[in-house]
Amino acid sequence: MFKLLEGPQTLGRGKKFWLCFVAVLAGALSYPLFADSYGVGNFAYFLIWIFMALGLCLMWGYGGMLSFGQTLFFGIAGYGYGVLAINMGGGTATIAALALSVVLAMIAAGILGYFMIWGGINGIFFGIVTLSATLVLAFFLGQTAGPEWHIGPARLNGFNGMKGMDPLTVGDFYVEGSALYYVMVALIVIVYLALRMLVNSGIGNVIVATRENPQRAEMLGYDVRKYQLLTFVIGSGLAGLSGALYTSWGQFITPSSIGLPAAAMPIVWVAFSGRSDLTATLVGSFLLLFGFQTITVYSQQAALVLMGALLLATVMLAPQGFVLGIGKLAAGWWGGRGPSDAGASLTETARLQSKES
Amino acid sequence: MSAEVFSLFYQFADVFAFLILSAAGLAIVFGMMGVINMAHGEFIMCGAYVTVGLVNLGVPLAIAQILAAVTAGLIGVLVEFLVVRRFYKRPLDSLLATWGLSLIVTQSMLLIVGSAVRGIGTPEGSFAIGDYTFSTYRLVLFGCAVAVLAGLYIIFMKTRFGVIARATMQNAAMAKALGARTGRIYAISFGIGTGLAGLCGALYAPTMTLIPTMGATFVVESFVTVVIGGANVLLGTAPAAVFLAMIRMALNASYGQIIGQIGMLVAVIVIIRVLPEGLSSVLVRRGR
Amino acid sequence: MTLVEVKGVSKRFGGLTAVSDVDLAVNVGEVHCLIGPNGAGKSTLFKLIVGLYPPTQGSILFDTVDITAERPYARVQRGMSIKMQAPSVFKELPVRQNIQIALQERLSGEERLAEEDRLLTLLNLAADSDKLAGALSHGQQQWLEIGMALALKPQLLLLDEPTAGMSPEETFRTGELIKSFNAEGMTVLVVEHDMAFVRQVAQRVTVLHLGKIFARGDLESILQDEKVAEIYLGKTHAH
Repeated sequence: MFKLLEGPQTLGRGKKFWLCFVAVLAGALSYPLFADSYGVGNFAYFLIWIFMALGLCLMWGYGGMLSFGQTLFFGIAGYGYGVLAINMGGGTATIAALALSVVLAMIAAGILGYFMIWGGINGIFFGIVTLSATLVLAFFLGQTAGPEWHIGPARLNGFNGMKGMDPLTVGDFYVEGSALYYVMVALIVIVYLALRMLVNSGIGNVIVATRENPQRAEMLGYDVRKYQLLTFVIGSGLAGLSGALYTSWGQFITPSSIGLPAAAMPIVWVAFSGRSDLTATLVGSFLLLFGFQTITVYSQQAALVLMGALLLATVMLAPQGFVLGIGKLAAGWWGGRGPSDAGASLTETARLQSKES
Repeated sequence: MSAEVFSLFYQFADVFAFLILSAAGLAIVFGMMGVINMAHGEFIMCGAYVTVGLVNLGVPLAIAQILAAVTAGLIGVLVEFLVVRRFYKRPLDSLLATWGLSLIVTQSMLLIVGSAVRGIGTPEGSFAIGDYTFSTYRLVLFGCAVAVLAGLYIIFMKTRFGVIARATMQNAAMAKALGARTGRIYAISFGIGTGLAGLCGALYAPTMTLIPTMGATFVVESFVTVVIGGANVLLGTAPAAVFLAMIRMALNASYGQIIGQIGMLVAVIVIIRVLPEGLSSVLVRRGR
Repeated sequence: MTLVEVKGVSKRFGGLTAVSDVDLAVNVGEVHCLIGPNGAGKSTLFKLIVGLYPPTQGSILFDTVDITAERPYARVQRGMSIKMQAPSVFKELPVRQNIQIALQERLSGEERLAEEDRLLTLLNLAADSDKLAGALSHGQQQWLEIGMALALKPQLLLLDEPTAGMSPEETFRTGELIKSFNAEGMTVLVVEHDMAFVRQVAQRVTVLHLGKIFARGDLESILQDEKVAEIYLGKTHAH
């Protein structure tokens, strides 16, 4: 089964790659030992969004479905976590609230995905229908300021945002600070490796086959709609995981994390990083989040202008993504001249070139 | 009784005008070039700001509105030349590029202009039928929406440009082989599309608060109208707007704006499942 | 025994009737060729059998089960396998992965690898197995797609002009390949207008003309049918 960690659908194979992986992981695990708690909290904050990026990478890069609805499911699970945590009374129940809110996001994705995929919506329209749904949810939550908008004791609270839910808690222990950071790192490792295995599995084969040529895939006996729905639900569930963790991290969520410009952010991260590879998305998204946060301290608008400029620059200059392109160059330059590696990298280069043309 | 009937018509006309004015520009660009202009809302915003700026300088409202639409159209031609033109073979990338543009424009506006701009207030004028009072300006907006549809009909069905444009729409390579300057036609069509967006902003500027993010208020309506209307502005967008306006009107009246919007979205999602090729496919098939 | 039965099938597109009240039976174990001049409705009939279009009228049976309303993937799961007219492979995936995607439902592990190798060798693609499918020549892509269709080990192989764009040698080899699979018990339905190829592989032939069945029979009788020769030369072409 661990064979599936490497395969034609993911870059990075062999000892060298996994040594790098272990080194980065070791660095991440030892970071709280020599950083202050503010730094650790900040890092945990960047990591929240990685799930959303990986989910979009799966849907868009592997499945060929460009969803603009990542923040829709982020919001559903984020608000869902808040409502459930408040109603279930905090404590260890917050773990259940987290799981349930992600399930809620996946159910919502299942329903929306069913109508779109069985309705034959693809390409551009997939994007604008998901974005419309996202904006409508943001508008709806924006006008729930009145006291009549509540679910149990949980007030939705319009643009001021919902607050008062407990963070993730085990017994009496609040999962905050370094503990939350370690949870986040562990979840990312699990999700990253699980996605690698998924895309290199038989299911992953069908997912990329559907991206390449849905009719041919159907002619091989696959009901491509089911695979598309599965991809959409997993990708949206990951966005939901980000949302629930976000609410737990800050005990707070507002409609502005759903609507514009928030909805554009996952697209920027994944496009800039290189949508066709999970590792590139992981690395690139982290870098962008880090940079974004650094600039936001001075001016959020300036940071967003930069994000817009990066998106424009990516599609104009490197449609396959900057991080992926640089990673390829570096890998080629650094070594890996073994016969099998050379063949593989040739295949990859050809794949990129045919993508560009 | 007639007052009630007129009131119903008035509500319908109000929503219909909003849908047509916000969607027409987007639909033309999509129909002609297969491109969804994600910066559509920003062209609307541009129209609104130019209008208000000119009115504050003392230009009469109607003239300011026309100038605003022309400005948005010219900026559109420039954007087509600099950005959109590269992406005609990559429609998804054109979506991303224009979205990047949209982010740059809104956030820069927030940086430069800030969030508050002095509005100009809705032109007064109202009239009463029975116990109901109606705003004259809302009827003017409806008139403008009908005029836009009529104008598009004339441009695309009766002019030389329209013939070439429709030929390009059908088969760009063939039109090019027959001597049509497709590049120029695309630029002009994109300009007409963004000009209509600017007109929409100009017309609604007196009725709303001006903020750089106001474009987002229009995009859901324009998206869903284009999604079910498909690529044909005259045969798709207009009937789609009639259909959505009825749903919207019914829900607005009893449950308020936001439920109206949610209802419209749900209707669209159900329609794409039932009629995968959009409303216009049914109409076109019937037409044959 | 009949494997596929097309009963009274018509297909209209708007005002155009592409296929009109066609009956067709393909028997188990035969190589059946569907021929006819351009515009005869061959490809439309093929797409109706495959499930890409719903028929306007009539029904289609596979192994005595009515499959008229089934989508293509369900028909494939019943034992059909399809090669479309234009080469349709996963262009940005390596050749071997193309075959693997076709094989993976049926075989796994070492068995699958062995079968991949066997098919790649059979198709003369072993040396190119790491290339992207899109980098293959047109003829090689046709072969790859035939390989993908064969990988499903179908009861019925459906081929729409499998030799389009192939050189005479490649065409001949394709014919021999089809015959060898037929010898192992596979039923084959081929849409084709290359008469040399039809002579090479066909056992029974159905001639379609202007959307209707024009003639049917074994290869010899069709080849000697003067009317069939005439429609190919255009003499009785109505328009």
